[in-house]
Amino acid sequence: MALPLPPGLTASEVGFLCEMELVTVIPRQRLEGLELLGGPTQPLNPPFPTPLPLWLALLLKKQKRANINPPAWLSVDGLSHIHDFETDTRTAEVFSPSQALPPPAGVRHGYEDYLSSDVIDFAPPFLANSSTTGAQADALPYHWLEVGHLLLTHAADDFDDPEGVRRLLRDLREVRMSKLRKGFKVLDAGAGVKLNGVGGMEIAEVRGFVGGMVDGLRKINRSREESRREREAEDRENGLGGSSYQDDEDDMQL
Amino acid sequence: MSQPHVQRTFLTSDYTMASRLRGRPAHAPGPTYCSYSNNGSKLVTVGSNSLLRVFPHNSDDEPPVIDVWTDNHFAVAAANDFFLVGSEDGSVTKYSLLTNSLEEILIRCTLPIRDIALSPDSQWAAVASDEIEVKVVSTKDMTQVFYLREHPRSAKNVSFDVNNSTVAVSCTDGLIYIYSISSEQPQLLKRIDGLIKILENDADASARAIWHPDGRAFAAPTATRDLQVVARADWKLQKAFKGGHRGDITAAAWSPNGALLATAGADKSLVLWETRSQKIIKSFDDIQDVILCLQWHPTDNVLSYTNTNGELFMRAEVVPGEHAKLLKVALQPAPMNGDPLSDVSGNAIRAPPGHGKPGVNGWDGPSENDYVDSLLDDAMSQDGADFIEDDDGAGYAEAPNRNGKRIANSIEGPIAKRPAAYSVWQPRVHEAFQPGSTPWKGNRRYLCLNLTGFVWTVDQETHNTVTVEFYDRQEHRDFHFTDPYLYDKACLNEKGTLFSCPPSAQHPAVIYYRPHESWTSRTDWRINMPAGEKITSISLSDSCIVATTTAGYVRIYSLYGLPLKMYRQKSTPAVTCASWRDYVMTIGNGPVGGDGSTRLLYTIENVKRDETYQSEDILALPDGFELKSVFFSDKGDPCIYDSEGVLLILQHWRTPGQAKWVPLLDTRTLDRLASGKKEESYWPVAVANNKFHCIILKGGEAYPYFPRPLLSDFDFRIPISAPEDDDAELTHGNQLEEQFVRKALEHSLQLDLVENTNATHAQKQEVPVLEREVDKVLLQLLANECREGEERGMKALEIATLMRDRTGKMLEAAGKVAQRFQRDVLAEKILEVAERRLVGIVDDDDV
Repeated sequence: MALPLPPGLTASEVGFLCEMELVTVIPRQRLEGLELLGGPTQPLNPPFPTPLPLWLALLLKKQKRANINPPAWLSVDGLSHIHDFETDTRTAEVFSPSQALPPPAGVRHGYEDYLSSDVIDFAPPFLANSSTTGAQADALPYHWLEVGHLLLTHAADDFDDPEGVRRLLRDLREVRMSKLRKGFKVLDAGAGVKLNGVGGMEIAEVRGFVGGMVDGLRKINRSREESRREREAEDRENGLGGSSYQDDEDDMQL
Repeated sequence: MSQPHVQRTFLTSDYTMASRLRGRPAHAPGPTYCSYSNNGSKLVTVGSNSLLRVFPHNSDDEPPVIDVWTDNHFAVAAANDFFLVGSEDGSVTKYSLLTNSLEEILIRCTLPIRDIALSPDSQWAAVASDEIEVKVVSTKDMTQVFYLREHPRSAKNVSFDVNNSTVAVSCTDGLIYIYSISSEQPQLLKRIDGLIKILENDADASARAIWHPDGRAFAAPTATRDLQVVARADWKLQKAFKGGHRGDITAAAWSPNGALLATAGADKSLVLWETRSQKIIKSFDDIQDVILCLQWHPTDNVLSYTNTNGELFMRAEVVPGEHAKLLKVALQPAPMNGDPLSDVSGNAIRAPPGHGKPGVNGWDGPSENDYVDSLLDDAMSQDGADFIEDDDGAGYAEAPNRNGKRIANSIEGPIAKRPAAYSVWQPRVHEAFQPGSTPWKGNRRYLCLNLTGFVWTVDQETHNTVTVEFYDRQEHRDFHFTDPYLYDKACLNEKGTLFSCPPSAQHPAVIYYRPHESWTSRTDWRINMPAGEKITSISLSDSCIVATTTAGYVRIYSLYGLPLKMYRQKSTPAVTCASWRDYVMTIGNGPVGGDGSTRLLYTIENVKRDETYQSEDILALPDGFELKSVFFSDKGDPCIYDSEGVLLILQHWRTPGQAKWVPLLDTRTLDRLASGKKEESYWPVAVANNKFHCIILKGGEAYPYFPRPLLSDFDFRIPISAPEDDDAELTHGNQLEEQFVRKALEHSLQLDLVENTNATHAQKQEVPVLEREVDKVLLQLLANECREGEERGMKALEIATLMRDRTGKMLEAAGKVAQRFQRDVLAEKILEVAERRLVGIVDDDDV
């Protein structure tokens, strides 16, 4: 138990995970489809834009074999729209909603689509289209901060206005972090904060703090808790209902 | 009837001589009038003495003189071979212009003649005298006379409109009376009050209504010394030419094409106006006497006028340099309220070669609007008299004579007065264009933009620099060269780049091909076109090169410059061409359609097999739609994109007579435009991978520019139903239906390909896959119907019978779907269909 890391994921781990996201690449040379562990990639055929995992896109970008087409939300227009939503007094309490889930597939017929080896089936929070050019322009995906940071670092020349995007990303991050912190003021043993729309990196950032705090609160309340349990145990022995034990336990954990 | 030879060419030195302003003493001092013959070769002047003079145009010689017994002539009107003179003694005499001698006395009045107007076809003369009635007499037969009697006082001026059917009588009571003489009895159409001033019979000021050459309006001088335009359709006041004169207007005349107006005032002024803007172009300050009569030369830049001092001026180069081109443009519309401003300034003059095509894909022509307007006007005019447009002055729209017959010699047809002036109807011909190219903007343009790469050129004054860039940088290397030939067309594909240039003084038109790679040292080649032949479009495929030329030829070469074949295109002028492997598609202007523009016809042939698949078939474009681009899809099916943003693909084109254009995508119904906020258009690039590749143009741009915009792609969506609906369930059903039609189309295209060519194994494999795709969509549609309810069972069964699969698997699946939704009757019936199919019993209607 000598692992020095706090529980949950570190920032670099989150960043690593986000490299699974697909981005749209405009290839500058041909490349056959690759058979990878995560599933096969599409063959590259200039100038057709092709979705590729972010890590591969960055690799090709570094080798000047491709350009990356930034997603629609990662633009000055899209980000300022989201920023307006975040700073609006009417919506000050909530985070901007995350990207819409894909519509449920229609009636499945046969089994060929499903569980077949040549299809990467994405599961939330990884959405197939969250960071490609087909992404929604007015909603942030789960990995918005990481994708934005990586693209701005490695493919700044593919942006129309990289400085503007960078500034807006920083603004957004500050606004949302302050919202998160504000939410923690009300944290109590039984209270909760609605985290809809919060991104992966943001969760990783606050996880240590919130986890520690809630744990501390639990410790403070331990004596009361224990007495309650004893009472419940007695009740159970007496044959009365007492099934709430398990639920309480769940409530305490974040 | 022999016509005097019309001398239209002249030396410019004549003009510089004539441009010295020097009045020609024509008559004794006194009111003098003049009139050009229809072809402009002669100018007749009459004055106060008993002489008539006939000035030949463009000559300083002493003019022939006709001695007459009358004096004080107040009116003259010349046709091609005769002229009429009205004198104070009340006689209208007809003189021959061929022999310069008296022919006859046409009509006599008791009081002095004040004005004579000849109808544009020279068949009728309207005579205004100090008598109350206006006489309209046939110039051929003096016994045929109409009397216009509805006005209460004598007429000051009369004028005919361009259709020979309406006479405007400017009466001395200050009203203009409009008479129709198209019927047996002249009819008063309208009294127009408050326009002209009350004038004395012998006043210098004019009240003449001058009909604009487009026939939709006339203009008349007002009491406020303006020239007011009045529409013929409703006799309402339109625009006015204001503020040009400080005295009453004494004469006014439209230029032969209606683009300019000249007016003269009693304050010894002469003003030139631009019709479109009603602005003064030039005001002449060297006028010594009051001008009484203004006459434009029918073709040349010459304005002649006579004054009160017996002098004649023939003013050459009267329209100053920068406006002189206004005289050359086609008929201009009269200035009406609410008319769109038609641009006469820049578009009518073709840009010099090498400086792009201003309307590269458009109908070229300055007066787009007035065709339609004049057609509409005619249809709506009150009496319908001008339903037939007398477009060449041949007189077939004239009023029948007394016997109800048309005048016989009208067939011989005097040369139309003002040849290029009015109602010259011309079919609108689609301009040739090169798919994938843009016009000059700034000093650069794209010569070719496709999925392989792009070719652009920069104008460096003396030469161009051409740059060829590729998307695939590994496969090809970008190159750049200096281009002294000024190439204006280019094609690019995986194998090479093709250029062509227009002919110039140094070289004829040239085709230049440069392969991208070769195993010999030098393989690029040039081919010179025969002298005078220009290239209208080129195309390059994997195996051949096609060029269409102004001589109407289609020239086909191999990739190494070997001429493979050459033939005359059936429909010319050529518009464009496209090719894919051995398939060549040429498009030309065909017969004229109902809207006055030509129908485009296309021909598709296979050069190698020497088979023609579609011969002069119609390119399906509704009225008002224009062809924007034509190209082959990556699977080799011809596609077109029209000006309304619809992409169409040609189905069944390998069977003669079977081809039809199927819309693949209507870009106006794209989801991204649904909000209505975006204003964008799409510049077609290609159809590949079952997607439409284009460049999105924002803010009303018509062509892509630099820096090179990104390519965008859109999935096909056949416009089966209204694009979006709030009802998600309905939308899903619509989507499935659209998908069904689209997949069926894909299947049929692929089936055509496999059946008609030596298809590869992969292509053959594609057909059953696509067939299964269609069935899958049908299965989804079936499930949709089953979900809707029991009552949709009939439709569900129909869907099941549409299944293409012959193995019975799909029908089995359909049965299962029906069972899952507990539609047992339906499931039974589907099973029945499956069984019938299995044993080979085919329904009567299923053949």
